[in-house]
Amino acid sequence: MSGLAFISPGAARAENGFEPRTASPLARALEGSRGLRDLSLLGKVEVRGSFLLDGPGFEVLRITPQRALVLCEPARCAELLETYPGLAVDMTCALAGIELEGDTLMRRLTDLDLSRLPAAAKVAGVAAILAASDRGIRIFFAQEYGHSVVEAVRDLQEGLA
Amino acid sequence: MRLDPQPGERLDRSRAVVFSFRGKPVHAFAGDTIGSALYASGQRIFSRSFKYHRPRGLVCCSGSCPNCMMNVDGTPNVRVCAEPVRAGAVVEPQNVLGSLERDLLSVVDKVGRPFTPVGFYYRTMIRPRRLWPLYEKFLRNVAGLGRIDKHRGRTTRYDTEHRAVDVLVIGGGRSGLRAAREASAGGGRVMLVDENARTFADEPFEIVAPGRALGIFEGGLVPVDAGKLLLRVRAPRIVVATGAVEQPLVFPGNDLVGVMLPDGARRLVRDFAVKPGERAVVLGADDRALSVADDLRAAGVDVIATVDLRERDPEAVAAEGKGGLLRAVSIDGVRHACDLLVASGAPQPAYSLLAQAGGKISYDAARGSFVPSELPAGIEAVGRVAGELGSVAPVRACHGEGGFVCICEDVAVKDLKRALAEGFDSIELAKRYTTVTMGPCQGRLCHLSSIRIFAREQGTDEAAIGTTTARPPWAPVKLGLLAGRPHEPAKRTSLHFRHEEAGADVIWTGAWRRPHSYGDAPAEARNVHATVGVIDVSTLGKLLVTGPDAVAFLERLYPNRYGDLKPGRVRYGVLSTDAGRIMDDGTVARLTDETFFVTTTSTGADGVLGWFEWWNAVWNMDVEIVNVTGAVSAVNVAGPQARELLGRATTTDISAEGFRYLDARESRVAGVPCLMLRIGFVGELGYELHFPSSYGEYVWDMLLGLGAELGAKPFGLEAQRILRLEKQHIIVGQDTDSESNVLDANMSWIAKLDKDDFVGKWALEHAKERGPRELLVGFEMANGTVPPEGGQVVRAGLPCGRVTSSRWSDQVGKAIGLAWLPPELAAEDTAFEIRVNGRLEGARVRLRPFFDPDGERLKT
Repeated sequence: MSGLAFISPGAARAENGFEPRTASPLARALEGSRGLRDLSLLGKVEVRGSFLLDGPGFEVLRITPQRALVLCEPARCAELLETYPGLAVDMTCALAGIELEGDTLMRRLTDLDLSRLPAAAKVAGVAAILAASDRGIRIFFAQEYGHSVVEAVRDLQEGLA
Repeated sequence: MRLDPQPGERLDRSRAVVFSFRGKPVHAFAGDTIGSALYASGQRIFSRSFKYHRPRGLVCCSGSCPNCMMNVDGTPNVRVCAEPVRAGAVVEPQNVLGSLERDLLSVVDKVGRPFTPVGFYYRTMIRPRRLWPLYEKFLRNVAGLGRIDKHRGRTTRYDTEHRAVDVLVIGGGRSGLRAAREASAGGGRVMLVDENARTFADEPFEIVAPGRALGIFEGGLVPVDAGKLLLRVRAPRIVVATGAVEQPLVFPGNDLVGVMLPDGARRLVRDFAVKPGERAVVLGADDRALSVADDLRAAGVDVIATVDLRERDPEAVAAEGKGGLLRAVSIDGVRHACDLLVASGAPQPAYSLLAQAGGKISYDAARGSFVPSELPAGIEAVGRVAGELGSVAPVRACHGEGGFVCICEDVAVKDLKRALAEGFDSIELAKRYTTVTMGPCQGRLCHLSSIRIFAREQGTDEAAIGTTTARPPWAPVKLGLLAGRPHEPAKRTSLHFRHEEAGADVIWTGAWRRPHSYGDAPAEARNVHATVGVIDVSTLGKLLVTGPDAVAFLERLYPNRYGDLKPGRVRYGVLSTDAGRIMDDGTVARLTDETFFVTTTSTGADGVLGWFEWWNAVWNMDVEIVNVTGAVSAVNVAGPQARELLGRATTTDISAEGFRYLDARESRVAGVPCLMLRIGFVGELGYELHFPSSYGEYVWDMLLGLGAELGAKPFGLEAQRILRLEKQHIIVGQDTDSESNVLDANMSWIAKLDKDDFVGKWALEHAKERGPRELLVGFEMANGTVPPEGGQVVRAGLPCGRVTSSRWSDQVGKAIGLAWLPPELAAEDTAFEIRVNGRLEGARVRLRPFFDPDGERLKT
C-alpha cells in the first residue's frame, strides 16, 4: 500500500549528507508585508467520509458533510494519515495560507458573508477556504496561486492606506 | 451673475477656488460645481451637440443631460453641472472645431442636415467599399463627444468592495430618508445611497453620497458607483426612492441656450446663488415645476409669463434665438421677449431600477406618466418614483411642428416620423433605428416624449406603445471602475523564482507562468542530447484515483487498458470524449492495487478533474479522486547522463535492470520522499520526479548542484518543444483539435476496442469503420525553411491540410514538423507542398520519429 509519502513533507529525512529544507510558496510575496501571517507550512490534512476527530491539537474545518480540512502541527499529519487510511490525504503542500485582519480589507477580497465561517469562496479571484481565528481570518488556497493572492492582498492594503 | 448668499446654499464663500477654462482662470467658491461657476462667470454655451453641432447650454444641472459635457483634466465627457470644482482643474470644451461660440462644424447643421437625416449611414457612405476607412475617419472626427487619450494609461486607482446589508435605500430625498429611518429603527443594517454629493445630518445608518446605484441584479445585487470605489451591495430588501425626472417639452427651438428645466433653474438659484437670466417665461404641469417662478423672482428675475399646463395646454410654443441663444418665446401666437424659458411637462418617475428588478411598469393616463404597478418580492418603491406626484396632468406630445425629442443624439420629431414611415413601427425598432434614448441621458429626458409622439402618429395611446427594456447601467459609469484592480490570478510553481533568478524568459501558458527558455533554446535542447537537462514540469495536473473500483473506473474512462498495469508501472494514456475526440493526455502510474497516480496536461487539469468527478457521480463507483496538482512539484531529468545524475541523489537502484523504462518507484531523492517515473517526453533517457512542493527549490538546487560537473543545465518550454517534435510526440490542443481522435492521430494502438466499453468507444468504432478523413503525420522540409504553425498544405492550388507544429532541429539538421494531411498524401516519403510567405515549399512525409526512431536512447 502506497503511503503516498511523496505528497507528505513530513516524510523527508536528513540522510546521506542531504539536509532537506522546505520553503513557503509565499516567502517572497510576503517580504516586507505588514499584518499578514504565513500559514503555508501549517499541517493540513483533507479527510473524507464520516469521521469523528477527538483530541487537542486538531482543528476541523468542515468543507462539506463528507469532506473536512484538518489543521494541525506538521508533525502530527502522519498521525491522521495512519488513523484514517484511505480517507486522509496530506494537503500541507497543496494549500498555502495567510491570516489577516481588517473588515474592510476582507470586504475588498471576497463577497462571502464573514459571519458564517468556515466556508469556501473566492478570494482575489481564487477558490479558497476561509475560517475565523482569534487574530482575524485565515484563508487557504492552492499554493500555486499563493504569490498572486498575496500580491492582490498587498495591493488592496495599499488602497486602504 | 452671483447673487447674495442664499439660505441653504452649498457654497463656502470663505474658500475661493480657481480653475482654468480655455486657458483662462475662473474664480469659484468651494461647493460650486464647474458648471455653476462657469455660468456665474457668464458662460452660456457649454457644448456643441453630437451630430449637428448646435450650441447647447445648461438644462438640468443634475448630471442627467449631455449639454454640459466637457473635458476636465484630460477626462472627457465630464458633466460639469454636477462636477465639484477643484483648484487647478483644467477644463476644455470638446466636440468643437474652433470655439464653443464659433464651431466650424456647425456647417453640418446649416448645410448638411438634408443629407444627414436619421439613419443616413445605412444609405450613404457605403460605396465604394474601399473608402470606408475614410468615411469612418471623417464621421468620427465630425460627430461624437469627447476623445480619449490612448496614451494616457491608467491614472486613477479604482477599488471594489463587497457589502451585505439588510436594507438598501436608493435615493436620499424625503421619502428615501424616511424609509431608511424606519428600517433602521426596526434593527438591522441599513445603507442609503444618493447620487448627489450632498451633506446629510447624522443618521443611525450608513450613507453613501455620492453613490449611484447602477442597476438591480438577481439576488439583490446592486452595484453602487461611489467615485473611485465600486460597492457591490447585496440586500434582501431594496427600497427605491429615485424620485421623478422633469420632462422637457417638445417644440420648435426647444434646444436653444436658455431653455431649462425648472429644477435646473432652481438649483442655480438656491444651491449656487447664480441668477439664471433676466427675463423668464415659466411653463409647468405640476406645482413643483411652477413654484420655480417664486425662486426666480426672489433672485431678481423678471418672470413675465407663467402657464399652468394643467389648466391650459397651448397648441403652439416656439422659441426664437440668435446665435443659438434664446431671445423670445411665442405661446399660441403671443410673443414674449425673454432670455430664459423654464419649462417641463408632467414629471416621469425614475422607474428604471424597478424595471430592471423585474417590476411591471404601466401607463397612468390620468397623470400622463409610466409608473410601477407590480413589484417583485424584496423590492419596494416610495415617494415620487411610486407615482406620488401630486397634482399633475398629461401634456401634448408636441407643442407645434418641429423641435428635438432627444437632445443627446440630435433626434428631431421629423426623424421619429420618418422612422415610422420607413416601417420601424415598434418602439424597440424605432429606438434602434433613430437612436432616441440611446445617448448619455439614456432616456431620462426623452423616453416619455418619444412614446407620446409614436402614440400620436400611430393613432393609439401610450399604454399601447409601452416602454423599451430598461438595462443597466442606470447612470454612466467609468470602465475603470467596473474593471477594478488589475489582478490576474497567475499560477506559479514552487520553482518559479529559480527560473527568474536564472534569467528565464517567463511566458503565460494558460494561467501558469512558465520559463520559455533561459536565453538560448536550441542550446538547451542540444545540451539535453549531449549530457543532461532539467525541466520544471510541476504544472502537470496530478490526480490520485483510489478505491476498490479504481481499476474499473479507469478502464471505463480511457480507451487504454489499465487492468493489466501492474503496481510499480506507468503507462501513457489519452482521454477521449463521448464523441471519441482527444480530450487530454498524460500518464497513469499504478502505485498499489487500488491507487493510481494520474498526470494530465498543464492546462487540462481542472477539466480532467471535473470529467473524472462527473463520471464518478454518474457511475457511483467506490472511487475517491483527489487533486494533488499543487501538493506535488515535478521535475524531469533527461539526457544520456540522467542516470548518473540521479544516482548521485538517491540510493534507490536506478540501474537499467533495477529501474526499467516505464517503471514507477517510490523512494527518496536528496532525502525528500519522491515518486520516480521512468518515462520520456523528450526522447532521451529520462526520469520524472514528483515530490512535496515545499521542497521544490531544494530539490532543484540539489540536482543542478550535483550535476554541475556533468554539464547539467535547466531547459525551458521551447527546448522541450523541439525535443518532443523530434520524437513526433503530440501536444494535445496544439497538434489536435476538437475533431481529432486517436485513430487519425497515428495512435491507434491506444484504443483497445476489444474492451467491453469505455467513454467514446462507439464513436471510435464508427471512425474506424468509416476510415480516416485526415491523418496526423510527421514531415521534413526539403530546403530547411521552417513553415509557420497553422500553415496551409496546398494541393492543386487549394488548401487540403495544415501544419500543427514546426521547428528547426539542430540534432536532426532539418526543419521538421507535424501536419494533418488527406489520407492519400499520408504515406511515407510522399511529397507535398506547404504555403510559406506566399510561396509553395516542398516537404516529405516521415512517419517515424526523426531522432532515435527505435527508442534506444529512451530505453537504454
